[in-house]
Amino acid sequence: MKHISSIASKIALGSAGVVIMSVLAGCEQKQEEQKQQNKFLIIEQQAGGKYVVVESLPTDGPSRALIREKDANGNTVERFMNEEEMKKLAEQEYKKVQDGTSETVKSGESSAGMGLGGTILAVAAGSLLGNMIGNALMSNKNFASRSSTANQSAYSRPSTPAGAPGSAASSSSPKKSYFGGSSTPASAPSAAPSSSSTSTYGG
Amino acid sequence: MVKLQNIRPLKNEQLEKLGFTWHTDSDSSRYISDTLVQITQDEAEAYYEAVNEIYDMYAEAAGYVIENDLFFELGIPFNLVDAIKKSWENDVHWHIYGRFDLAGGVDSKPIKLLEFNADTPTALFETALLQWALLKENGMDENRQFNNVYDAIRENFKRLITLFEDTEFFDERYDGWKILFSSIQGNDEEEATTRLLRQIATDAGFNTGFEYLQNVKFDENGIYDKSENQYEYWFKLYPWEDIAVDEPELATTLTTIMQNQAVIILNPAYTLLFQSKGMLKILYDLFPDSPYLLKTSFEPLKGMKYVEKCAFGREGANIKIVGADGAVLNEQGGEYGNHKKVYQEYTELPKDESGVKYQAGVFFAYEACGLGFRKGGEIMNNMSKFVGHVIV
Repeated sequence: MKHISSIASKIALGSAGVVIMSVLAGCEQKQEEQKQQNKFLIIEQQAGGKYVVVESLPTDGPSRALIREKDANGNTVERFMNEEEMKKLAEQEYKKVQDGTSETVKSGESSAGMGLGGTILAVAAGSLLGNMIGNALMSNKNFASRSSTANQSAYSRPSTPAGAPGSAASSSSPKKSYFGGSSTPASAPSAAPSSSSTSTYGG
Repeated sequence: MVKLQNIRPLKNEQLEKLGFTWHTDSDSSRYISDTLVQITQDEAEAYYEAVNEIYDMYAEAAGYVIENDLFFELGIPFNLVDAIKKSWENDVHWHIYGRFDLAGGVDSKPIKLLEFNADTPTALFETALLQWALLKENGMDENRQFNNVYDAIRENFKRLITLFEDTEFFDERYDGWKILFSSIQGNDEEEATTRLLRQIATDAGFNTGFEYLQNVKFDENGIYDKSENQYEYWFKLYPWEDIAVDEPELATTLTTIMQNQAVIILNPAYTLLFQSKGMLKILYDLFPDSPYLLKTSFEPLKGMKYVEKCAFGREGANIKIVGADGAVLNEQGGEYGNHKKVYQEYTELPKDESGVKYQAGVFFAYEACGLGFRKGGEIMNNMSKFVGHVIV
């Protein structure tokens, strides 16, 4: 009878259960922030010398990266990078973010790829440097856009849901808001404030 | 007679700490009842079986509606027909959760389908969390409830990635796709419901965000939060039919976004078919022998007591109970009066010893997953109360 009594002797309510338990016990605490998953990255050097992530897999172990580069003769060579080395590169790049010189926070032609440090920071900042730094970086518009284009694996894997986006070309069409949103052009028919803003929809 | 058990209620202060601020109705009465409905294990099982079977019937009926182009009959706005068809064609448009409202199921009364809240169901917080907290607070055995809602919805979020396969594959297939959750600003219940769903999705392993509806940005290639972060999924606790009518340009944009395979929108557009009470008539046509269905027609029923409903009425609005002689016995006004009408055979709701009536709400997320009751008068409305249950 899994469906009837699956709550048996465990907290089946996930993080909500922890909150409820602590409120009932009178010792509520702040919820944990979302945990970052460690990653196994395959990073390929492009013809122009820049790097892109071609595969990104979650891993239970420490983060690792396989770097594929071209040697002087144009042959592909592979090397592994462990979490410590990745962290070091990410930290160096993060310092550049702080003094404004990192290419991860520059707007521009994001398809061209970035240096190795930039590429690693762009796709794994949270898991390497911690959630706070990861979130702070993602709130930077340029970084977020770099992050999504640095990772070319995200939308091209066979298991990609068929309805999930292809790496969307940055659109030149203006974005609009509705429901009385502020960025809707005044001339648009939807600019009128939605009359339903206080109704309840639950049925 | 519905059997009740008195319990110690959760204090308002506790409820507020949980994020449940709508504990007091506008007449100052408490929204959460300090009793539980006693049900048997067999009654719980019967709700489970019934709802799974009813959902299968809905899926078959939706296919029938699309095949035979019956959108107009269901009162579906024309500017959502393409979105509905597209969402129906591809399994990635996965239905996260819904709630069936049922008569009967206790006190030896047969289970009868009243309607399906498939698009934007609330009462989620109460059923998933408060039901559990009520038992816990009263030192009762947590096994004695039909409540797997949180876990079932968490697993169903994973199916956005794994579809019909085992959700254990989620971790290896999930690659950072983000879900943006949105509700209107200024309605605590809707916002808390939406934030709870976000929390469940986060527990499932998704990257998630929240943005009020008016701050969400749209273009043909995607959906973005205020900071222009792009998302692959958008969950909106906002009715599809209201988008169609109040924001027709957005309805067109969303259809294009689906066409471009830029974003998957949840609950999917086809849940508007399920949501239409016109489906009750289609179901009755297709499955006249089902024990769960009441006779339903697009014309007033002759020679029997019936209930007049609007295709998209919510919270008991615009419902009329009409006697066999055609006299209106009970009526509730509302804003949905110009919707298409549906006429459903009347069925008596189970009552407690003081004559208060009870309606069951069973949540569905891939399978039936949890039960809650509403109690009130003849027509359940937004003054009716939530009542938890215990399996005795």
